Amino acid sequence: MRPLQPPLTLLSSFQSYASYFVRCLKASFAYRAATITNLLTAAVSYSITIMIWRQVYSQNPNLLISSDQMYVYLLLAGCVNYAMIMNIEFRISQRIRNGLVATDLLKPVDFQIAQGIQAISDGFFNGSMGIMVFLCGFFVFGTRMLPPDFPCFCLFMISFLLGFTVMYGVCFVFVQGAFYTYSGYGIMASRNALQLTFSGVSAPLAFYPPLLKTIADWLPFKHIIYSPISIYMGWAKNADAYQLILQQACWAVFLFVLGKLIMKHALKQLEVQGG
Amino acid sequence: MENALHVENLAKSYKRRVRKPGLAGAFQSMFSAKTEEFHAVKGISFSIKRGEKVGLIGENGAGKSTTLKMLTGIIVPTGGQLEVLGLVPWQKRRQLALNIGVVFGQRPQLLWDIPVRETFKLLKDMYHIPNGVFEITYPEAVKRLDLEPLLSTPVRLLSLGQRMRCDLAASLLHAPAVAFLDEPTIGLDLTVKEQVREYIRDMQNRFGITLLITTHDLKDITEVCDRLLLLDKGKLLFDGSLKAFEKRFANESRIVAELHQPATPASLKKLSAEIKRYGGAITLSEGHRLILEYREAGAAPALTQILLKRQKVVDLTLEKTDIDTIVTRIYRKPAGEKMKP
Repeated sequence: MRPLQPPLTLLSSFQSYASYFVRCLKASFAYRAATITNLLTAAVSYSITIMIWRQVYSQNPNLLISSDQMYVYLLLAGCVNYAMIMNIEFRISQRIRNGLVATDLLKPVDFQIAQGIQAISDGFFNGSMGIMVFLCGFFVFGTRMLPPDFPCFCLFMISFLLGFTVMYGVCFVFVQGAFYTYSGYGIMASRNALQLTFSGVSAPLAFYPPLLKTIADWLPFKHIIYSPISIYMGWAKNADAYQLILQQACWAVFLFVLGKLIMKHALKQLEVQGG
Repeated sequence: MENALHVENLAKSYKRRVRKPGLAGAFQSMFSAKTEEFHAVKGISFSIKRGEKVGLIGENGAGKSTTLKMLTGIIVPTGGQLEVLGLVPWQKRRQLALNIGVVFGQRPQLLWDIPVRETFKLLKDMYHIPNGVFEITYPEAVKRLDLEPLLSTPVRLLSLGQRMRCDLAASLLHAPAVAFLDEPTIGLDLTVKEQVREYIRDMQNRFGITLLITTHDLKDITEVCDRLLLLDKGKLLFDGSLKAFEKRFANESRIVAELHQPATPASLKKLSAEIKRYGGAITLSEGHRLILEYREAGAAPALTQILLKRQKVVDLTLEKTDIDTIVTRIYRKPAGEKMKP
């Protein structure tokens, strides 16, 4: 009789995840039409935000930052936000609802990491649209769209990746609610509302009233968009940038562990009814 | 021989919210947290040795799928103990997953949006299937289950039957030590069902896979398994070989007659009284068709003679009760009498 296959090592798991990533990326092309429609809708929404700010600047040109800086910020926020669009809440809640989550749990891979791999493949696909938005911005604003120096760009890349991890952590924690409620809609809507308010996607947090800014400082959402862009634009430099990155890393680890703990509890009371 | 599975007093209950009917009830349930406990599996015990082929049957809602979900580690039992390949499934779910294959007939494990071939390649990487094994199992599955024309098709475009065949291949590609097959022939036509059963049998023979199959098609059991577990409302009613099951319950035989003209109620009454002496009973009289059933060995000649004397018979056959009939009868019996032969 064959011996029992031992658990996968970290290295062998990596091979599984790499293979899974390739398939997820292929699968995301299956819905390219729907995804592009979503992204175009988001583009309309960003255009409206920019138009609102144009109106604000036309009435009061002496705000905290120049109008050009504001437009560059908003375009960059749009680019980063595109890459952060992940469908995991919809996907997981649907699979919990129709019981298909059972087949995910039967795979010899970590559910949380596997969903993260799917999120990365979403990010790759959606991020390519973000790059297009960036190129459009570059066409209009030229070198003002670029970071002040190369170290800024390197720190931004680290911050961006950490921001992605924070975003995934937030989504994963929120979607655990679907194990209890069997519906992802309310969960997605509340996470989205919080993110729109506190991530800085519509305006830099410096423009927020003190109370909202304080709340934003205590939540993870600003690390999804505002922190990476602050580093990219050179608003947070040296020690400030390192501090933001450290905060992001702490949030990423905290949310990952929190997600794992909640899921452990959620799985204990999971019901997959029916044949 | 070593146990592949050991289950002792396994139980699973769920809390369900109690909702009153109607719109008002739905509204009320938003504010009331009244729940009731539903016992899906009520303390069952059994062991399965390595390489055994076991069928698990029961009516809808008997607890078959819940048992399978506990054995695979998807859901956590509320009572009892279980071990699969020496592991507690829900605690060592990922390690266990490497060593088992699972088909949930109504929940495909294939990736929905990409071609079937891609899922197979992914499974090869995910389960770390050695080339030596994959080179046997993959072409075998493709050939035996006739998958070649489906390999380039995205899973969402497959019919239920096609998807089932691919799903079965996916679950056995890594030649698992234990395979849990929940309704593996659902949605298949008769020819493909045969093909699937033959494939399962051959894979089992070649790799010594321990099989636990749940199904409503008893041919899956009679053609693949040699042991039967019968669940009813969460309880294990029978655990034994197919022969033992038939011996216990299939002691009824029947005479099926095609009459020249439908029997009148009066003639049926007379016939019924006469055959009663030989342990016979009329179980069906529908148009020209008449069925007599009896238990006593050697009663057939006497019963046939009486029948031929009382009715003008066009055609006549003697049949032994098949497993489908036995199981259907058990299902129909009231709770306390199900195990009475």
